[in-house]
Amino acid sequence: MRPPCVPDGVAAMLDRAGFYPYLTGRRNLALLCRMDGKRVTDGSLDEAIARVGLTADADRRVAGYSAGMRQRLGLAAALVRAPRLLLLDEPTSALDPAGARDVRELARELAAGGSAVVFSSHDLLEVEELCASVTILRQGHVVFDGALERLYAMSAGATHALTTSDDAAALRIADQCPGVRAARDRDPVDGLDVTGHRDAIDAYVVALGRAGVAVRSLHARERSLETVFLHVTAGGDPS
Amino acid sequence: MSARGVAQCARVEARKLLVQPQCAIVLTLCAIAPFAFVAALRAQAGVPSDTLFGRAVHESGFAIPLVVLGFAGLWGLPIVAGLAGGDMFASEDRHRTWAAVLTRSRSRAEVFDGKVLVACGFAASALIVLAAAAMAAGAVLVGTQPLVDLSGALVPPPDALARVVLAWASVLPPSLALTGAAILMSVSTRSSVAGVGVPVVAAFVLQIAAFADGPELIRRLLPTTAFEAWHGLLAHPAFYGPLLHGTAVNVVCGGASILIAREIFLRRDEA
Repeated sequence: MRPPCVPDGVAAMLDRAGFYPYLTGRRNLALLCRMDGKRVTDGSLDEAIARVGLTADADRRVAGYSAGMRQRLGLAAALVRAPRLLLLDEPTSALDPAGARDVRELARELAAGGSAVVFSSHDLLEVEELCASVTILRQGHVVFDGALERLYAMSAGATHALTTSDDAAALRIADQCPGVRAARDRDPVDGLDVTGHRDAIDAYVVALGRAGVAVRSLHARERSLETVFLHVTAGGDPS
Repeated sequence: MSARGVAQCARVEARKLLVQPQCAIVLTLCAIAPFAFVAALRAQAGVPSDTLFGRAVHESGFAIPLVVLGFAGLWGLPIVAGLAGGDMFASEDRHRTWAAVLTRSRSRAEVFDGKVLVACGFAASALIVLAAAAMAAGAVLVGTQPLVDLSGALVPPPDALARVVLAWASVLPPSLALTGAAILMSVSTRSSVAGVGVPVVAAFVLQIAAFADGPELIRRLLPTTAFEAWHGLLAHPAFYGPLLHGTAVNVVCGGASILIAREIFLRRDEA
């Protein structure tokens, strides 16, 4: 099948995309703009160059650019298309922390301005910080697609830390409660790890009270996106 | 796909080509090599007698572009064709620039056609510069005396000039066919070395093969035979059969190379 032409308003910044090393960053951008059929003037590229922090180096040959500078130039090449849909593929992989922060800020600005930003990354902390909704792929198939909150809420029950007056009895009672799994924490001081949906946990706590086991503390452990991702991609069904 | 899109891609390719040193080097060599050749001839008493019109290089300036054409057909024009087409696509692979090029609002067909136009334009420009320089070198350094053709007839200067121009024009089809072969190698191997080198070596081997005794039909079907088809224009009476056969063979070979390269390029994965 022949690949389609990229429509106007759609731009992509792909990981490890190269540029012509014998041209300056500015001339590279000018050539790409001309391919789009846009008129290029001296000042027309300055805004995109400034937004990615390349103003000081725009008139240097790309051959002398670092990986991070090339990545910034790739982002500028996407921005000059004034995208309504921007695809960012690992946009911060070669950037220093300050550069990565700038790119995340830029992505937020574009999203706030009405553009849809699709962010592809293996850095789940970055995804967690930046994205409102996620699509998780496993072996080329979508295993989750939706809002981040929904992923957390629907993932196979939150894990809780439970301390009781009788942990051994609490473990036995957990075996009799459907939808609840309990195990001793690796650190005995922390009591038990209890996993289950909210309704099941509620029923478990009532059952503990009826059995005369006092609940001294119960709090949900925070689940990182990484934990959820590993659970989902390992075969767990988030729903 | 639109003609405007192809033109935009071609303009971008032309700008990229013009800033690269190899473009200036090739065109400069084409412009000065004939003058250097004539200067070297004038510095010695001997003549390149084993070359067509070699004996006449001191007697008519019109012999100079024909001697240069003989050498150019063997080496110079295949090299120019290889340089024009062989690096055009593979350089994008080398610089990893396909991702940037193919995420603009241009289809792959427009990108391909724009590149082919520029490659063929560059090959044709180099040929024109070389031809013009050879004619100028002959006229300025030797003169515009009548030319003795291959049948021994004296050809007056205006007619000699017309035949020389036609002779150079006749090597445009094989040059463009070799450029097409270079483009095919460049697309299919993604290697500049193969793109530039294979057509040059192939052209040389085919021209050597043409010297071997073999069926006349095979000789006629070799694309490089057209580099010698101009001999018929300098005979009396002139004969055009080899020229027509050669042009037809090169249209088919060059066209097929470019069509195959286009299909490969339109379907291949750039991920």
